[in-house]
Amino acid sequence: MPPEIVYTPESLLKRPHLLAHLMWRDLLASRELAWRLMVRDINAQYRQAFLGIIWAFLPPIVMAAGFTLAKDANVITVSETDIPYPAYVMFSTALWQTFVEALNGPIQAVTIAKPMLARVNFPREALILAKLGEVGFNFGVKLILIVALFLWFQVPVSWMVILTPVALIHLILLGTLLGILLAPLGVLYQDVSKGLTMLTGFWLFITPVVYPIPKEGIFGLLVRLNPVTPLLVTTRELATTGVISDAGSFWLVSALTLLGLIFTWVMFRLAMPYVIERVSS
Amino acid sequence: MAVGITQQTVPTSSQQDDAVIVVDQVSKKFCRDLRRSLFYGIQDIAADLGGWRRKSEFLRQDEFWALQNVSFRLHRGEALGLVGTNGAGKSTLLRIISGLIKPDTGCVRIRGRLAPLIALGAGFNPILTGRENIYANMSILGVSTQEIKKRFDQVVEFAEIWEAIDAPVQTYSSGMAARLGFACAIYTEPEILLIDEVLAVGDARFKAKCYRRLYELRKKGTSFILVNHNPQAILNTCDSAIYLSQGKLVASSDAETIISQYEEDLFLNGAERYPCKLDLPPKPPEESLGLDVTSLFFRGTQSEILESLRSGQALSFCVVCQARQAFSGITLHLSISKIGGEDSVGTILYLSGDNDNIFFDMPAGSHEIQLQLPYLGLEPGAYTMKVKLKKDSIYSFDVVESFRFTVTADGKMSKCRFYQPRSWQLVSSPLQS
Repeated sequence: MPPEIVYTPESLLKRPHLLAHLMWRDLLASRELAWRLMVRDINAQYRQAFLGIIWAFLPPIVMAAGFTLAKDANVITVSETDIPYPAYVMFSTALWQTFVEALNGPIQAVTIAKPMLARVNFPREALILAKLGEVGFNFGVKLILIVALFLWFQVPVSWMVILTPVALIHLILLGTLLGILLAPLGVLYQDVSKGLTMLTGFWLFITPVVYPIPKEGIFGLLVRLNPVTPLLVTTRELATTGVISDAGSFWLVSALTLLGLIFTWVMFRLAMPYVIERVSS
Repeated sequence: MAVGITQQTVPTSSQQDDAVIVVDQVSKKFCRDLRRSLFYGIQDIAADLGGWRRKSEFLRQDEFWALQNVSFRLHRGEALGLVGTNGAGKSTLLRIISGLIKPDTGCVRIRGRLAPLIALGAGFNPILTGRENIYANMSILGVSTQEIKKRFDQVVEFAEIWEAIDAPVQTYSSGMAARLGFACAIYTEPEILLIDEVLAVGDARFKAKCYRRLYELRKKGTSFILVNHNPQAILNTCDSAIYLSQGKLVASSDAETIISQYEEDLFLNGAERYPCKLDLPPKPPEESLGLDVTSLFFRGTQSEILESLRSGQALSFCVVCQARQAFSGITLHLSISKIGGEDSVGTILYLSGDNDNIFFDMPAGSHEIQLQLPYLGLEPGAYTMKVKLKKDSIYSFDVVESFRFTVTADGKMSKCRFYQPRSWQLVSSPLQS
């Protein structure tokens, strides 16, 4: 006899063992599907774009050009950066972009997959994993730009660079965590995606992407309280100087991210059936 | 109502029977107001996360029961038809069974791998080729890559799209895309199939092929639930059926009984059950052409006026008319068409005195033309009749555009389009030794 599946109105939180078992089972079951979905999405994304992967390079280049010109004309003043300013902006923008992609990924994935979600009961984790893969792939493409950049500006690299992926993964996971948290709401209310566009604009402003970490004032406090700051800065430091300025904050945010990820995963699973019943038919 | 919220109400029954789906006292409520519905969604999520009871067995403002206390079982290898009008809750029930949404009361137990044929072509991306889409679609339906590779040729063969397999799906005709979707779904080889009116796709030949495939699967022991508006499809495929009406399970029996009950309700229920008699108000002299129809009805064998008609019944159709002066060469035309149903197009019966060469002479006064029918050949359903009173087949005196009446079943007429008068006998000859 195959195992019996039971659907009841009661919350699965009351049966944590079963919930954990189901979560583990679905995570394993979703690997292959996630791969398929990722391949499908990446294929579709590049097949309908004439410029193809150039789109991954353009935003950091445009951003760096703009800020470098502004700095040279003394329109903005930025204190000294560890590496040449254009490289600093381009590299940071690439990191920031990756974070934003990770943040928007789950919401986009779930919204686009609405018709599919409403009709087929597949492991929902696959959507998230596929998006994570896509974020990774896109970063891989950006890596070409970054390597070229480092060579061009002759940025010194220490052996610590091999630890960069750890920090980068934490940065991506923080984005994913927030994305998963908002995804069920985002399907119900369009306010979420609208608000998020606005929010990321402001967020970029208080993240040290085009400037180094300020030390003083309310602005300095805001930048330091921003959870993206330690992750992004540490990633950048590992890849360049190898000197980590604030390891404490980095580990604190990382630990919170990993814990939070498990919490949001549970939430996402429990919320999805309710979301689906409201959106579809 | 609180029955069935907890798990204990149905005994876990491995010894009891071989049911693959047990639906026990399942209810589901929906909200008609979108804004409120979204808000309730948030409320439910919060309650579920908080771990407190959602009180899902009570209705909130603007909510209604889309399904109420539905229970049934599906056994291994059984095919169950699910009938009901639009909005009866059929799709909701299938979605609860496939685990997409949670029931509000009761519980559903599933044994075996279940595939919904609700979502044909779920996850098809129009830009990608048919080949890529087969892989994505079948993965979503839960087939491993290895298995997809094995079945790939069969899928393409079944969908008959060999020449277009490497073209983007957006270049496909809607029929081709539908065929591909169906082929992907049917080759997931599930143990339980839920089919929601998807067999309406494709041309007649492809439909026949789909039914053949379903038949093969059934022989292999696949169980299924088939939702279809076409009663014939259910009669051909299913042994038993359940009938949902406004979220409630009103009947559950063998397919034939359920279908005839469903059809009767569909065409003959309350508003659509027409009285079999029509009286027309007298016309003012300036509108009259001299000969007016005043009433239409049916008489039985004892000349009694009939209130309902049965297929196969002996009866006369009567037209009462009022002649203001004497006329000759009066004849009657009547054409009958069906109301509702898929076959409601066009006249299904046309009778004219003209063709039968029957003309009456009428002095001034009241007359009743009787058309005797030894057997009423119409199948059960609602009908409309157009009646014309003519002179010499050219000049119309009076026309009744629509006289509506209903015919009910005689209990022996399933799967028939018309009533066949008949008698049986056995002719035997002794063995020659």
